[in-house]
Amino acid sequence: MTDINSNSNSNSNSNSNSSSKLDSKIPSGPIEKKWDEHRFNLKLVNPANKRKYNVIIVGTGLAGASAAASLGELGYNVQVFCLQDSPRRAHSIAAQGGINAAKSYQNDGDSIWRLFYDTVKGGDYRAREANVYRLAQVSNNIIDQCAAQGVPFARDYSGYLANRSFGGAQVSRTFYARGQTGQQLLIGAYQALMRQRNDKKVKLYTRREMLDVIIIDGKARGILVRNLITGKIERYVADAVILATGGYGNSYFLSTNAMCSNGSAIWRAHKRGAFFANPCFTQIHPTCIPMSGDHQSKLTLMSESLRNDGRVWVPARAGDKRPANQIPESERDYYLERIYPSFGNLVPRDVASRNAKLQCDAGKGVGSTGLAVFLDFAHAIKRDGEDKIRARYGNLFEMYERITAENPYKNPMRIYPAVHYTMGGLWVDYNLMSTIPGLFVLGEANFSDHGANRLGASALMQGLADGYFVIPYTIGDYLARLNTSSTSEKIDTNNTSFANSEKELNEEIRKLMSVGSRGKKTTTEFHRELGKIMWSNVGMSRSEGTLKSALTEIPRLREEFWKDVKITGKGDDLNVELEHALRLRDFLELNELMTRDALERKESCGGHFRDESQTKDNEALRDDENFCHVAAWEYTGEGKMPIRHKEELKFENVHLSQRSYK
Amino acid sequence: MSNMNGHEHNGNGNGEMTLFLKIWRQKCCSEKGKMCEYTVKGISPDISFLEMLDILNQDLIKRGEEPVVFDHDCREGICGACSLVINGIPHGPEVLTTTCQLHMRKFKDGDTIVIEPFRAKAFPVIRDLMVDRVALDEIITSGGYISANTGAAPEANSIPVRQENAELSMDAAACVGCGACVAACNNASAMLFVGAKVSHLGLLPQGEIEGRERVYNMVKKMDELGFGNCTNEAECEAVCPKGIKLSNIARLNRQFALSSFLKKDDGGLKQEWN
Amino acid sequence: MECCGLKFNYFTSSIGKKQIMTVSAFLLISFSIVHMIGNILMYVGPKYFNLYAYTLTANPLLPLAELVLASFFVVHILLAIILVVENYLARPQKYYMKVNTGKGASFASATMPWTGAIMLVFLIFHLLHFRFGTIYTTSYDGKEMRDLYRLMIEFFAQPAYLVWYVATMIAFAFHLGHGIQSIFQTVGINYSKYTPCINKLCLLLSLVLSVMFSAYPIWSYVKGLQ
Repeated sequence: MTDINSNSNSNSNSNSNSSSKLDSKIPSGPIEKKWDEHRFNLKLVNPANKRKYNVIIVGTGLAGASAAASLGELGYNVQVFCLQDSPRRAHSIAAQGGINAAKSYQNDGDSIWRLFYDTVKGGDYRAREANVYRLAQVSNNIIDQCAAQGVPFARDYSGYLANRSFGGAQVSRTFYARGQTGQQLLIGAYQALMRQRNDKKVKLYTRREMLDVIIIDGKARGILVRNLITGKIERYVADAVILATGGYGNSYFLSTNAMCSNGSAIWRAHKRGAFFANPCFTQIHPTCIPMSGDHQSKLTLMSESLRNDGRVWVPARAGDKRPANQIPESERDYYLERIYPSFGNLVPRDVASRNAKLQCDAGKGVGSTGLAVFLDFAHAIKRDGEDKIRARYGNLFEMYERITAENPYKNPMRIYPAVHYTMGGLWVDYNLMSTIPGLFVLGEANFSDHGANRLGASALMQGLADGYFVIPYTIGDYLARLNTSSTSEKIDTNNTSFANSEKELNEEIRKLMSVGSRGKKTTTEFHRELGKIMWSNVGMSRSEGTLKSALTEIPRLREEFWKDVKITGKGDDLNVELEHALRLRDFLELNELMTRDALERKESCGGHFRDESQTKDNEALRDDENFCHVAAWEYTGEGKMPIRHKEELKFENVHLSQRSYK
Repeated sequence: MSNMNGHEHNGNGNGEMTLFLKIWRQKCCSEKGKMCEYTVKGISPDISFLEMLDILNQDLIKRGEEPVVFDHDCREGICGACSLVINGIPHGPEVLTTTCQLHMRKFKDGDTIVIEPFRAKAFPVIRDLMVDRVALDEIITSGGYISANTGAAPEANSIPVRQENAELSMDAAACVGCGACVAACNNASAMLFVGAKVSHLGLLPQGEIEGRERVYNMVKKMDELGFGNCTNEAECEAVCPKGIKLSNIARLNRQFALSSFLKKDDGGLKQEWN
Repeated sequence: MECCGLKFNYFTSSIGKKQIMTVSAFLLISFSIVHMIGNILMYVGPKYFNLYAYTLTANPLLPLAELVLASFFVVHILLAIILVVENYLARPQKYYMKVNTGKGASFASATMPWTGAIMLVFLIFHLLHFRFGTIYTTSYDGKEMRDLYRLMIEFFAQPAYLVWYVATMIAFAFHLGHGIQSIFQTVGINYSKYTPCINKLCLLLSLVLSVMFSAYPIWSYVKGLQ
């Protein structure tokens, strides 16, 4: 369909410019006051007028559901869309570990400032200070809100909230509900959303997938969705559109994301003018259950709290295929403890992941595929007893055993890194508005708060912060400034923009179905092949060579896709293969942008590791002089080179330093 | 169960299995469905049940047929999207396990596996094995929440919760809303689902305030939607992938009786809840 | 489901109907226990047995008591029919293959409507034979009264009746085996600390009731042989 590579992959020309198109709208003043003053300066919508405004929200994860509930409570008319059968299925539900907040209940030195500092540092100085500070500020309100909604957080015997330390943080600031924190927070937000539905403030549209944003007079004014049951395209109009559609980790085929998670909504918005920021920033989680074979459909993550007690090792000799219990201590290499004596097994996710890959690349990987390392609890069991370990990790051990049929109390677990989270996403300003006026982006779908690497237990925090405590203020400002003569009462779905977009979309579906009737390769085969290209070239470590090779392979695969994809069934009917094909169509374009972004960012930072940019100890080496900025990509049209805009990052409160976990 | 139809076994030595599937195919709610037979070969015992169906679907697509449609999403046992009645049991033979976490090592080479959708009046079939479980959302909409507006919440630690109650509440809150309880119930009753929500919220001081109305409204909605009546058989508890206990139904029963007579605005007794 | 198009309230709700049914069951079981204890008098001798029956029937409140008791039966049976029909309608398309897990439903629970129906038939015959059956008279201390003892001995002298009674008592055992436990669950008594014990006591009670009620016909039969 498209052919961008011919004019682009040969030269890695830095056609980026510090753009005047990017106004981050970060308020002036000291960082502690920015959000308060900004809120005061935002315009308000008169309570009686709120019912006149329609807001569309796409996605019902933590960010989408919390935004829908909060906006409904304020009095806006909200239309919510999700592609599953119920809003409660959104993939936020799978988060296990917890949610951070700067409550400092443990009296251990935590503060808003420390959470802010840790998040900026953890993100390897590629996030906006002001956004992160706001995130830390509202983190406490989130806990209050969720507790009031009935989220059954873990409690001490006193009845007060319990905390644990998580992801190597030096303070105990993580709130949790067993190993199901994401589920409980999402159910809290879902219930709040359903309450608004009961009050008729929220209309819920399930089993619908957004396939286009409608822009009228330069503003986002609606969406096109495909009704997944009838296969019909439906039009919805509004005064503002909020995307909370999550990340694009499934661009790697195998990831810990849910099967239906996809990047289509944000990619379609990108093609309509929303800039895509830092697409190459992906997080690879070190403690996943390794794949068992070619038919693997997805990967399962285990909480990284396992690394608190488990020791990571591989056989010291490459190609040693003996079972774990026959390898004596002296022939084991506890490589994380060896290389990082002070942090040991608790090094950050990206470091742990990359080292596992290096060991496997060196032929020391274990298991039948050779793509795994051991995570051994033998020492912990010896030290604390099996009962204590069972109390801490029982449910994770059960999950592991259910999937692998191996008993982790007797044999070490096998783990391998897997794609888990995408820090990149649509570029948004301080108000969470993209470069398309009226198009707001929340949660994992935006790029804003995690920089180049996300800390554990921060994803839930960001999703809820955006939905509960940021968007209700900032969307009001946008709506209050809207020219009232152009509110949705005047624009309806008969507008030509809807008709044109629908025509384009139907044309594309028609084309897919006509290729599909003759094609030979299934969508799954294409997706798996795309994933392999991404994982080996744009995965845990990237180099100019691998990236350039991906930049030739992806367009080749895309071309093949549009000639040879096999799709059965009809276009205007329930058709899961067509759904997959439409998502894949977007991944085939999005992945190229990810690769291009990775190629342009010649430094290593956080989850983005360029082989060319490392210290002599093989650590990520940032290049603050040239890359202390957000790369925001502008779509310029079919087959044209996208434009890389720069938003310079200024660090006024946190001193940039090189991470070291030695 | 094994080799029911007298097919020949031809699994190879690597533990790969040949399986005979009987799958419910139905175009849509208004058309009649039927059981169709398929054979899948070379199934590794290490793959999941849904991955086995993926393999079948890949075969079907390559043959130009439409794949078997089923709901699924997270494939790690938490989203509650997957369903299926496998050999007569919702989510299959393994306890405390959703279909997506069921692995093929539970089956033997040559087995015949019967796969059907969840069946209930309240869960109409959309296609094949995919059913519409919107009824469960309707029940939550009718009252399965605590009415705490964003921003109105007090400091979290100002409402202490007995640790024991928080744990019991969490036990019930673990419900994934898959509807297996309804599918397993010989009467297609949703009492375990409603009971779990009533317990989750009602055991917390935050949720006690609206307790009476919540219980009453949720049961009212449940009855309207055409679910059956509970006959205390506990099949729901036996198949629940999250181990939600029957005691939650008991709590629902007693709270409903109280709420019927004590809820607000019915001109009846207005006493303290406890 | 909305019961017969009536407005939703406690009495038309699924749980309300179950609880009313449960209360009627509780009262019926209480009656059975009293009945069972009263019948022990047959072992003591015909006089005490007949006197006991006479004392009960001579009470001017008897018709009222019978009416109340009959209403418990009617409520229990009518609600049972409504619930069974509703439950049937709640799954219009039946499973091609459905098995119980073995951890939930039991033979007793699955056959409640059937054992209930057997009990209903039994009840009708029982009333026809004894309440409205042949009237023999006898007199003790100058008082004339009905000789139920004779009726009983004669009745159970016929092996077919004996077999039918013992068989229905087996059905009765199954009905109560699930039913008595169910009373506690339906009114909301289910606590991990007490419920295992309660369930055992319930099983014991249903066994005692059915064994005792089976023992009477057997005893009568043996007596009749002598």
